[in-house]
Amino acid sequence: MTVRYAVLAVGAAVASVALAQPPGGTPGPMQSNMGASQTESPKAAAAPSSSGDAIDVNKLFATSCGWCHSKGGREAGKGPQLMGTPLTDGEIAYRIRKGKTGQMPAFEGSLTDEQIRAVVTYIRALKPQG
Amino acid sequence: MKLSISICGLASAASLVTASAMAADVDFKRLLNADNDPDNWLSYHRTYKSWHYSPLAEINTGNVGKLKEAWSHVASRSVRGLQSYPLVADGILYYSGSYNQVWALDGATGEVLWQYKQKLNEDLVAKQTHSPYNRGIALGYGNVYMGTLDGKLVAIDMKTGKLKWETKLVDSEKLTVGFTGAPLLVKDKVIIGAQGGEWPSRGPIFGVDANTGKQVWRFFTVAGEEGNGDAKNTWGGDSWKTGGGGGWMPGGYDPDTNTVWWGTANPAPLYDWSGADYKTKGARPGDNLYTTSVILLDPDTGKLKGHHQEIPHDAWDFDSATGEFIMIDRGGKKYVVHPSKSGFVWVYDQAGKVQNVWRLIKNINFVKDIDPKTGELVGRRDLTEGKHTDLCPFIAGGMSWNMGSYNPKTGLLYKVGNEWCMDLVVEKTTPVLEPMAQLNIGANFNITHPKGEKAHGHVSARDPITGAKKWEIVFPEPPLASLLSTGGNLLFVPDARGWLRAYDATTGKELWSHNNGQGHNGGIISYRAKGKQYVAVMTGWGGLAGDDYATFFGGTFAQMPKDSGIIKVFALQ
Repeated sequence: MTVRYAVLAVGAAVASVALAQPPGGTPGPMQSNMGASQTESPKAAAAPSSSGDAIDVNKLFATSCGWCHSKGGREAGKGPQLMGTPLTDGEIAYRIRKGKTGQMPAFEGSLTDEQIRAVVTYIRALKPQG
Repeated sequence: MKLSISICGLASAASLVTASAMAADVDFKRLLNADNDPDNWLSYHRTYKSWHYSPLAEINTGNVGKLKEAWSHVASRSVRGLQSYPLVADGILYYSGSYNQVWALDGATGEVLWQYKQKLNEDLVAKQTHSPYNRGIALGYGNVYMGTLDGKLVAIDMKTGKLKWETKLVDSEKLTVGFTGAPLLVKDKVIIGAQGGEWPSRGPIFGVDANTGKQVWRFFTVAGEEGNGDAKNTWGGDSWKTGGGGGWMPGGYDPDTNTVWWGTANPAPLYDWSGADYKTKGARPGDNLYTTSVILLDPDTGKLKGHHQEIPHDAWDFDSATGEFIMIDRGGKKYVVHPSKSGFVWVYDQAGKVQNVWRLIKNINFVKDIDPKTGELVGRRDLTEGKHTDLCPFIAGGMSWNMGSYNPKTGLLYKVGNEWCMDLVVEKTTPVLEPMAQLNIGANFNITHPKGEKAHGHVSARDPITGAKKWEIVFPEPPLASLLSTGGNLLFVPDARGWLRAYDATTGKELWSHNNGQGHNGGIISYRAKGKQYVAVMTGWGGLAGDDYATFFGGTFAQMPKDSGIIKVFALQ
């Protein structure tokens, strides 16, 4: 449990958007319904949706997440390393929505479901730099 | 069990009556004369000179070796530790903790006289990044004043701990930000600045009637407003709406000129992609007044009397909100000394004109230099979109927000400096203008060691006007807490690992140490209660500077709790 908590925090951000993923329900802490491909790249996640808007998840991450999740989430900083996280998509999304007391703010209300999905997809696609 | 509880209650009531009978009201006159009141620590900076110095000398270089813990008090819900300053008036110690809790304790015994818990919008608090800590309170006119996480200023009865009034000043539900910094009492006004360098808020500083709670004035640190420092022309387009500029730490007051001095935070986004053409390009073209500035306000009206922007168009998050305003009288001339997160220390005259600028730390390369005569930045390292390495200092600053100490006996300023750097990738982010927006950073980054050495911290003793260094103590990690110097020729340094050490303030020789069991990230004071001198220090770890320690420095920080807070109080055995 301790190990799991140590890996839980995630950040997210603000931008105007819509996404390729259809909106789903709000997953609980141990649920996973995100359904995003684990091999999908951040660029793919940022592909324009049918509404014509797009999420640039790199910008989105740098707006609000990069302060705590170093090197774009590739290394631990104030928060844990996100690359290679053992959490399910639902667990990641839950942490983004609800935050963690004293360690990560809750982004519920400031991020849309689509933006949260984009961040989850971004995290899944993280690879070492260089 | 029931019996013991009721006995405790009686003891508290008895202490309260005794202490109340002895107490004189804390008013403006008493605050003005706080220099001549060595037993008490009546305000965040102790006096309007902001020396963080106690004249008490019962504990001194000759006997500090006999210093022992006298009592302690455990603060509930101490998420991110105790980051506040204890205050003492007439034998009673008041302090605040996380989630806007306040305690009044018998200063000699630690007996709890009352506890206050602010009713908060906890859903909102969960959405705040810079939360749920509180960094200090103010005393005056029978009240304890505190800013709340959800945007209120409250007045709590000093004797009973009951709420007298509360005034909503910031629509935190819309703007995310609230208050964490201590208020400053000047005359009949409580002055307090809102949080914010990272949100679309305009960082107001407020003047509130100390008796009624009615808001009297407001100053927008972002762009001012018509008739009071209008500076929208220093923000290209609508970029002023991205905000920032919060005056999130308590400022100072110069009674000679009736001027409040207040420091402001960076603009948002923190990192701009403008490059050298920042006057016309980037996220927020222009100088972005009055962010990363020192502003001079009339405490009665909130009217802007003057300003100096320490970093025009701050592109590195090097707030001027951090740093006390140390009033120094030398050779018949008065100076105001202001350390900043950038690692530079600015020296002003009483009108706010730059007299000198000096470096407290070695690793600075966001500029080549700052002209000590004009304060102008020389050789700016403005960032463009993409990767940048070895930017110094790290975002947490060459100095953090806690306080140094000036000792009039030694003539030395004692201050913590941080030697660390960062790599970053600046992104061309979308402007954040919407309500309830979260952070607006503009980059991904990571902390690094300076070239050729390990990251570390130091406490140096310097001439506050020239910066000339007399001695320096090196720490393996930057201490993040405030410092205290005393009339007993002592300097107390609470460090990050949990050690509280006392040094000879003249020579820097270590004389005493005690392990408090967890890191320090708050205030330290000395006071006298029932005829005996005490030293009180906040303990508890966690926060935006300290949160990097577990990963970067490892060691004990990997196990250090981030939800524990204890005030520890020491006296001679």
